[in-house]
Amino acid sequence: MKRRNFLKKAGITAAAPFILPSGRLFAATGARVVNHVVFVLFAGGIRQQESVDQQYLMNQGGNTAGNIMLNMLEGDAPNNNIIFEQWAPILNQPLANQGAFFKEVLYKNGPTGHYNGHTVAMTGNYTETGLNLNINPEFPTIFEYYRKHSDPARSAINSWWISEGLGPYPSLNYSQHAGYGSLYGANYLRPASLISQAGLNQLGAAVNYQPDDVDRILKIKNMLDRNFSNQANALPGIQNTLNEREMIKTYYLETLQQVLNGSFEWATPNNSLTELTGDLLALSGAWSILDRFTPELTVVNTTNLDICHSNFTGYIDSMHKADFGVGWLWNKIQSHPVLANDTIMICMPEHGRNLVTNNVNDNNGFGAYDHTSDDNSRRLFAMIAGPEDKVVRDEFGTFGNAAAESIDIVPTIAHILGFEEDIPNGLLPGRVLNEAFY
Amino acid sequence: MMFLFSNCKKEIITQNEINNDYTYNIDNEVIYQSNVEKTRQKTPELYISILYSNLFQTTIPANDLSELARIRAATGDKQLADELFLNAFVNGGNAIIPSNNTMRDDVETFIADTYLRFFLRIPTAYEVFELKKEIEADAQLTPELIYQGFALSNEYKFY
Repeated sequence: MKRRNFLKKAGITAAAPFILPSGRLFAATGARVVNHVVFVLFAGGIRQQESVDQQYLMNQGGNTAGNIMLNMLEGDAPNNNIIFEQWAPILNQPLANQGAFFKEVLYKNGPTGHYNGHTVAMTGNYTETGLNLNINPEFPTIFEYYRKHSDPARSAINSWWISEGLGPYPSLNYSQHAGYGSLYGANYLRPASLISQAGLNQLGAAVNYQPDDVDRILKIKNMLDRNFSNQANALPGIQNTLNEREMIKTYYLETLQQVLNGSFEWATPNNSLTELTGDLLALSGAWSILDRFTPELTVVNTTNLDICHSNFTGYIDSMHKADFGVGWLWNKIQSHPVLANDTIMICMPEHGRNLVTNNVNDNNGFGAYDHTSDDNSRRLFAMIAGPEDKVVRDEFGTFGNAAAESIDIVPTIAHILGFEEDIPNGLLPGRVLNEAFY
Repeated sequence: MMFLFSNCKKEIITQNEINNDYTYNIDNEVIYQSNVEKTRQKTPELYISILYSNLFQTTIPANDLSELARIRAATGDKQLADELFLNAFVNGGNAIIPSNNTMRDDVETFIADTYLRFFLRIPTAYEVFELKKEIEADAQLTPELIYQGFALSNEYKFY
């Protein structure tokens, strides 16, 4: 029962509400399950058939089954008709065995497009918008709920949205919703734009200023501002505090240095640059941020397997490599002094793909798949991996009997970080996946 | 004395009075009488373009503008991105910035030039006094740092 309803039913009134030092009427209620959540949107559109069902080439006339996601799923790899570059798994135990595995999750309403799928996953609300619009979503994102309803309220450095590509994704770090918005948004980074020739060209000469010099610059600015009556409007986007902005600037510049001197950690076998994909670069960037700032809430996506619109072979290869990247990320988290055993990782595709191929065959003669809102494209899976004493080891859902919906992730994250009950009624139609936790 | 000054570059500014506005032979910009005339905020693109021109005395190449826009789009805190761009411009070695010695040899000329360069106006007597005091009080306050203060100020974001 939500607190509001309880108070109403109990007839509790007060002449004057008790105001906490933070200015809130009530403290955030729920106890936390852990202090860090990493939500991997294993996105681009994945069919259950090639992932959870491990059907590999069975639907391509190849008569070969097998598990190509060895870090996330239990099962043997295919042993013939290998069309992808096989990488040895990095995890001793797949993620599905390290937590609650929701084998069937339903993307119930709205078009199965990338922007929609991401919006649904990150706001906990279905949307009917059918275009990849670079606009902030209508409903608050998990970042805004986290920052606003945690007590004390959290600054932006504690929440990060990291995307593989640009397009519509930068706008998902906060919403247009009244009472929320950029004030509570997440920091956002697309690593591939920073860690790039463009990044080196444009930022390579920047200096990591000592605090004294930062103060000097600010002193001049403030002096000049006193003599000018207009105040520049805040730029669109989130605003970090002064100190945290300097920390992030330092992170940017040190990251570029690490890339140049070869000390940056890449989510590839043997730290190889040649094996890097867009997804693995995003996951490498996510780790870099987790390692530096240990944010409490991180969302990162992968999208390369959307190549499946025209190239089934590429889709399989991308899926296998993204799976490696997720395993690599979890391995890193579990080796970190702050994050280990205090992090829950949630993995979920943003949507599936169609049951029937389109008319495009790749060089191997395999048919490609779109995602145009058929029933198959509404089938997803979700994994919630975490400490053994916090997250159950169990499986939920079967084909035709989904155990959850994609809108359930946001309330579940809110539950994990202890602020679910503080979210106003009516904003989150989904449910907390309580069966995943002790 | 002649030898000592023979290597100094002195900027010649010719001043023509036209309809009570002053024009200087610096890109034929019209100079503001005062900062109250500045009421419109620059767009982010205009800000970066003008900043580049002010620092490098040339138009920003299209490829650079494109790369900057991409990095900016990839960063949630746009202020952070702009501050890093400014930092890189100033410290990249190609920006036209007087040396610390040149500044301190003639602080008032440096101040006047800096106001003209960034704010397109002559500083008031008080503004000269204020900034001169800061420069003379802090040997570590370099032209690079001062330029960044100007570029980050509210007035610079308006026209």
